[in-house]
Amino acid sequence: MKKRGLAALLCAVLAASTIAGCSSATGNSASTEKGVSSAGKKAMEVGGDNVTTLNVWTFIELHQDFYVSMAEKWNEAHPDKKVKLVLSNMPYDDMHNKLSLALESGEGAPDIVDIELGKFPAYMVGKIGLMELNDVIAPYKDKIVKSRLDIYSKDGKEYGLPTHVGTTVAFYNEKLLNDAGINYKDIKTWDQFKEAGVKYHEATGKYFSCVETSAQWMVNLMLAQKGGDYIDKDGKLNIASKEMEEVLEYIKGMQETGAFATIPGGQPDNEEAYPLYNSGDYAVQIMPFWQTSRFVNYMTDIKKQVAIAPVPVFNENDGEVATIGGGGTGTAIIKSGKNAQLAAEVMAFIKLSEESNKEVWNVLGFDPVNTSVWNDTSLTQNPDNKFIQYFTNYPFDTLLKTKDSIGILQAYTDEKYPSINNEFCNVTLNSIFEDGMDVKEALLQSQQTLSNEFKEK
Amino acid sequence: MKKFFYSKKIAPYVFICPFVITVLLFWLVPICNGVLLSFQDVLKEQWVGFDNYSRLLTDTIFLKALWNSFKYMVGTLLLLIPFPLLFASLLNSKLMKKADIFKSIYFIPALTSVVVAGTIFRLMYGEASTSLFNQILGYFGVGPIKWLKGAGTSFFALLLLACWRWTGVNILYFLAGLQSIPSELYEAASIDGASKWQQFKKISMPLVKPTTVYVLTISIYAGLSMFIESNMLFKGNNSPNNIGLTIVGYLYRQGVEKRALGYACAVGFILLFVVMAVNILQLKITGTFEEGRE
Amino acid sequence: MNKQGSEKVHSSRERKRYASVALIILFSILALLITLPIWVMFVASFKPGGDLLQYGLNLDINVSRMNLDNYVLLFTGQHEYWKWFFNSICLTVITVLSTLIISAFVGYGFAAYEFKGKKFLFLLVLLILSIPLEVVMLPLYKQMSAWKMMDSFTAVVLPFVAHASTIFFFRQYLVSIPQSLLEAGRIDGATEYGIFFRLIIPLMKPAFSAMAILNGMNAWNNYLWPLLVIRSSEKYPLTLGLNTLINPYGDNYSLLVVGSVFSVIPIFILFVAFQKYFIEGMMAGAVKG
Repeated sequence: MKKRGLAALLCAVLAASTIAGCSSATGNSASTEKGVSSAGKKAMEVGGDNVTTLNVWTFIELHQDFYVSMAEKWNEAHPDKKVKLVLSNMPYDDMHNKLSLALESGEGAPDIVDIELGKFPAYMVGKIGLMELNDVIAPYKDKIVKSRLDIYSKDGKEYGLPTHVGTTVAFYNEKLLNDAGINYKDIKTWDQFKEAGVKYHEATGKYFSCVETSAQWMVNLMLAQKGGDYIDKDGKLNIASKEMEEVLEYIKGMQETGAFATIPGGQPDNEEAYPLYNSGDYAVQIMPFWQTSRFVNYMTDIKKQVAIAPVPVFNENDGEVATIGGGGTGTAIIKSGKNAQLAAEVMAFIKLSEESNKEVWNVLGFDPVNTSVWNDTSLTQNPDNKFIQYFTNYPFDTLLKTKDSIGILQAYTDEKYPSINNEFCNVTLNSIFEDGMDVKEALLQSQQTLSNEFKEK
Repeated sequence: MKKFFYSKKIAPYVFICPFVITVLLFWLVPICNGVLLSFQDVLKEQWVGFDNYSRLLTDTIFLKALWNSFKYMVGTLLLLIPFPLLFASLLNSKLMKKADIFKSIYFIPALTSVVVAGTIFRLMYGEASTSLFNQILGYFGVGPIKWLKGAGTSFFALLLLACWRWTGVNILYFLAGLQSIPSELYEAASIDGASKWQQFKKISMPLVKPTTVYVLTISIYAGLSMFIESNMLFKGNNSPNNIGLTIVGYLYRQGVEKRALGYACAVGFILLFVVMAVNILQLKITGTFEEGRE
Repeated sequence: MNKQGSEKVHSSRERKRYASVALIILFSILALLITLPIWVMFVASFKPGGDLLQYGLNLDINVSRMNLDNYVLLFTGQHEYWKWFFNSICLTVITVLSTLIISAFVGYGFAAYEFKGKKFLFLLVLLILSIPLEVVMLPLYKQMSAWKMMDSFTAVVLPFVAHASTIFFFRQYLVSIPQSLLEAGRIDGATEYGIFFRLIIPLMKPAFSAMAILNGMNAWNNYLWPLLVIRSSEKYPLTLGLNTLINPYGDNYSLLVVGSVFSVIPIFILFVAFQKYFIEGMMAGAVKG
């Protein structure tokens, strides 16, 4: 009797699950901003014959909607070359791992895939499974920020279509800073930044900004400003360089003031860190421009409090690069795909055309790689835009100030970079900023580990 | 033909056949392929001889992973054999009422998947002073600590997760062993004036030994090949200073994340070697081999 | 019986009662500790997902911040949770049924017959039993890919249907079955296979229960192998699906925590349904050296 009851319960659960399964399957894709973001598949609906189906893998769900809306525009303009995108979204690690496995086994790869900058060089090793894109990029090339094409290139061949510039900027919580008697506009150098931090901490008892342990947004920026890099001119590892040591010592000095501290999640772009910014426990972020979308979606309590400003520099008059591009997604085409050529043309349109770059800002809130868009005030000062509404100043004013001085690290395109990145975000930065290890010692140790991995002497 | 199939000579082979086929297809073939791969640099499509293996022996990250896994295995053995055995014999005693309810309760953690369990524990180990473990520390006046960033605390975290999930299962294994011991033995001992502790030491422990050996064997296996627990606790295969990196974690990192399939296969065979070595040692120490021969 | 003697009996009875109470207290504390995380998770399922990230999991019950939103999201929201749930149930049922039948078949072969090569093959069972799957995982993946079996439930289940530890268990369970029973079956005209299906299987109920629980648990919680071979999110089992929620984007932790609560339910039902036979089965089949 008892058992029968249990069996009935099990059946009920089963039935409920199938019914719920059906009802959720019929729902369609509305806004992705709230709601759940997980693995998910989405297919375009395209009428007519002669439609080519293209499989696309992404790791940020927001990109799916953008691709769909742009692909619809492509279909309108090219009725003879209609495409139907079938998009699968997967978590970051999963997607890159599945891509690696698929390329490795030569089976199961999509036609089009979004590859994150930090992982990109890993696909440039050995026989390259990605398609060379120079032809399809050529028509747009003069308007695109060159450094963003370079980071997805090898030996002059371009393999990835950039999504944004990712200009590193400073996000100040203007309200909290004002309350503490600090005007963010006065901060021009890192020394002033540090001073402001100390003053803020004394006034509020809260942290000014975080010290990164699981990302290198600020570290890479400072390194580029100092003219340093992770590799030397011959492409050899150069982790324990003088510049890197200075940068990390400088950040350590900031940490020692007590105004700067590590953060749960290890960096501002993390689900454990958003709430701490949202609640005002930390006030400032040095992040690439695309952090705008995280602010708008996940830090909603501080709407109309945050200003975007150029990042501090070490020395105002020495001509150092003002900023660098940070993070990024290179859209690549799988060479062996049956419709690779068409896929490349479509994606070049979706990622590089002026039309699409307007949408990059409108929908995603990123700084578009096609800089012809940056001066279009109908766009950059559009009062209906949710990003404009969120921040206290016009984001593009800041971007235009640094437009001509966007630097790059050579290491970004080096096949060693994924491992360097991994070592820094797991070992080096943690050793220094969590465990209090000596900077030089930590750097030498990481240099040793990486040399061993790449069999360099 | 039909007669042949039904004959008593052939029947055993028909019964065994599914096993033989799966072993050939899904163990032997991949193992052979794995061996071949472990002598190659797959990305460069080169044969490299024993290079992968010799590189592993000087690869500090791999050695750290090996050490982490080994430490974890030893920790789980020390915690997950004696205590469950003790609990099981207490539960088995006549003094214990309603033992069935407790058995079921203790089994619940094993029913939660690692994904669920790991996530719950990760959030309980949160850095905020309001997360459970820091709350508990707070009661004792100790400040919040970053559980999953220090080597010692995160080792503790992993062990606690393992204890939580497996104590109940091991209790059941031991109970099964204990209940097959005839109760007359205890009665006789009791008449001879043996205390409960003496009974436990002289009767329960030796007679439950086959179970202990079995639990040891699977614990060694599970401890050395632990991966997902750490993966869930650290929200991915990367942990600060690689404190949560295990052998299988390294295999996954090399083979899947870095596409160094050959190197990863070499890691796999070292794992196999270590598991076998530890198990043979264990069987030697517990004397299971000798008994098998008798 | 003199007075002193009865006192002695009395005090020993008293002592027993104390010991019994002490034991119950000890095990109740243990039970509390063990259920604590489950309780914390249950409480958390009524809190907003954002709170979990900000404050971590804890025992605080603040009714004003608690609501049924997560449950509403689970049942009416737009997500693939129930698809994953259903996949997991399918996978578990397929795995348990196929593994039990095939492993019992093989186990019986080892238990009931003497044949050439038996020693070697049984040693092979023990050997396979102690090889971690992770050792062959990557080559096996390549093989599945070459055979075009990727992204299917077959790829998840097939390689492990003849499950070494289950075979071992069934063999241990069946080895004590008297040959006379089999002979009686033969005299009645049953074939070798008929004996297995008609005579033996009904005898194996406790063993099946024990193995159904263990294999069911493993299948329901299986993670690493499906992660490698399943690609499309609509084929994900629950473990993979829940894991995809652990990403920085979207309001995921709400679904994650309530989904986690629900993920424990089916396997718990399976356990409760079979647990009566579980110990019995384990005892009969498990390890006798």
